[in-house]
Amino acid sequence: MASDTSLVAKLDAVVADILADWNIYTTLIAGAILAFLVFSFVTSKEPEIHPFLLARQSTAFPVRQPGESSAYRSLETPHGFPLRSGLNVKDPGAPKWTSGRRGDLRDIWKAAVRGAAEEGKLPGKQGKIYTVLGRKAIEHSLEQVTQEINVIGSRLQTANAKVVAICLTDSIELLATIFAGAFYGFKTILVPHNLDPKDLSALLQKAQADVLIAEAGALDLSLVAKSNGQLSQVIWVAKIGSRHMDWNDVPSDVKGSLDVSVWHEVVEEKKDLTGLDVPSWDASTPTPSVTTVWPSASQGFDFVEYQPENLVSAIAGLTYSLPRNQRIGPSDLVLSIDSLSRSYPLCQIMAALYSNASVAVNSVAGEGVDFALATVGVSPTVVIASSRTMSAYHDKFMEPHSGFITAIARWFDVRKLDAGVMPSHGMFSQVANIGPTAELSLDKLRLLCVSHRVDADSQYRLTCAQLTDLRIFTGARVVYALTGPGVAGAVSQTNVFDYRRYAGPSHVGAPLSSVELVMTGVSEDKENEGQITVSGPAVVSGKTTLAAEGRIRDDNTLELC
Amino acid sequence: MSTAETGAVPPPEVMTIASPINLILLSLFIILIYTQFRPKAPVTLPKSPAPIVFRTFTPTTLLPFNGTEDKPVYLAVRGRVFDVSPGRNFYGPGGPYENFAGRDASRGLACQSFDEEMLTKDLKGPLDELKDLDGEQLENLQSWEERFSEKYLVVGKLVAESDPEAVKA
Repeated sequence: MASDTSLVAKLDAVVADILADWNIYTTLIAGAILAFLVFSFVTSKEPEIHPFLLARQSTAFPVRQPGESSAYRSLETPHGFPLRSGLNVKDPGAPKWTSGRRGDLRDIWKAAVRGAAEEGKLPGKQGKIYTVLGRKAIEHSLEQVTQEINVIGSRLQTANAKVVAICLTDSIELLATIFAGAFYGFKTILVPHNLDPKDLSALLQKAQADVLIAEAGALDLSLVAKSNGQLSQVIWVAKIGSRHMDWNDVPSDVKGSLDVSVWHEVVEEKKDLTGLDVPSWDASTPTPSVTTVWPSASQGFDFVEYQPENLVSAIAGLTYSLPRNQRIGPSDLVLSIDSLSRSYPLCQIMAALYSNASVAVNSVAGEGVDFALATVGVSPTVVIASSRTMSAYHDKFMEPHSGFITAIARWFDVRKLDAGVMPSHGMFSQVANIGPTAELSLDKLRLLCVSHRVDADSQYRLTCAQLTDLRIFTGARVVYALTGPGVAGAVSQTNVFDYRRYAGPSHVGAPLSSVELVMTGVSEDKENEGQITVSGPAVVSGKTTLAAEGRIRDDNTLELC
Repeated sequence: MSTAETGAVPPPEVMTIASPINLILLSLFIILIYTQFRPKAPVTLPKSPAPIVFRTFTPTTLLPFNGTEDKPVYLAVRGRVFDVSPGRNFYGPGGPYENFAGRDASRGLACQSFDEEMLTKDLKGPLDELKDLDGEQLENLQSWEERFSEKYLVVGKLVAESDPEAVKA
């Protein structure tokens, strides 16, 4: 008992002794602790997505074939259910409980023109289409484009065109021709615009194109016509600056065989004859295919012919790969700085049109462009770019221009990203990021969609550090997708909330809900590493094996080897 | 002179930052900051069990999969091998359907009978062709098969010993 009291008394004395030293510094430190606790409590946020959802991002089928990995699917479309095959278009007047149609490109244009309708209120707010020319952006109303679709479509329909080759930079005319093909029943082939005339000529011959739509003055007509007897009509698209010239003049050797006209003149001439309304159609008739050109390994070119069901499946897959609050909507302006003749940007732009977003196309768009120059004309909220563009911009501009202050701000922002929260693009981070983003004018950017071609040079594969930098410097979330020949849209895409970091190249996410992934040719000790094989409604002819090795990581995301 | 003067004044109590309480509080502060900013390993889930490899069985190689010694319970219906381990209480040892475990159960399911006679005796012989079943029995079998496909995984296929594919099994 006595010893107990003495112990307590001793303890009391020690505490009293320690507290006796309380002075101004002690108060300061205690204040700092309190302030720190309050600060971290106030600023702490829940991660934007539950960490378990990032720890296992796709589902594996529990049985696998020998020599193959399990089949992997998006969490949206579990095994045993059909993959996402269409836009689920609900026609007005159809009973509420019926499932929608798959839809096709015509439904996309119809939805874009109808506008974002609030329940039952028509017409809704329409998106706009901009063409970016350098620092200028020209606005087009959708009615105007519908008119062009109708004029060009009916002209080509009366000329009985079957295959129309489009050799244009990204432009309103390119989009209009694709939709005209869907409405007026001709196949469209998107040919890259910067081809050598000989290659172009060979491609036209291979495709048996009977109509060519190309930029006025961009190619030598006699050379193309010489080896393309089937070609019967050429429509020049003249740039605004060169419309005063007479493009109807034809070289004498092709005068009899080729019908040459100029886009803006045809539209001007016929616009009173065709209406401003979207043509009506029978939903049971299929639309013709859209073909893109995929550069093949041997410097040649392969055609990839996307059936309408491939495209709508991919468009739906891309749309739903983003969670509801990140999805592209009517308030967005989507700019593609990657060429629309590639299927990922094309499907993303179509998805944006279907969601009634405004869309901007850029005449310089391509796989390797200057990110700053290409985004200068408008202030987009969503940018679609290639991995080559982004990695080049990161390495050549962002990295060398980040200084000491940037590094400090980056350190804090990385902590936030690691906690699963997107850092706010506040005053401090803007000042700190002035160096790396000096050239950019992307104040409203919220989402950056980057696609990587499966057969692109591996130096363009983005690393986790690069993706983190892009998030911090631009203040936008990033999705990173893998594309392959024969797969419309993308094979896989990272989760928009996946901010996890590790050394080396980033993974490319979980398969879209429109495809299923299997690694083939696997060895028994490494059952998750092999040739990437993709199947599903978004894949041309149902199934394809890509010319690349991939690995399924422990979090069930795909990684290139 | 001056030294004497200052010596006369009682020294003011030195305010030190290095007092025990300050040190305690400071270390507390540092620990707090560290826990807030220390690198956190991303969440990982335990690895899911390795997938079952689809294989080709013959009646002889299927026989061991009858649920004894903690082995999975397989049974075959019209050439498809189902993993019925989740229903071990029914199909495993001691269950009402235990005769079917590791065997071709097609005839038994069609006839709604769990007797030994329903099984193919000769494991080396050809598979039961089920040619003598009537419409009702086939319908029975069909509904069993559909039920199995919904509930259980197909983990392989069953071929006769004489089948060229049996070499792989």
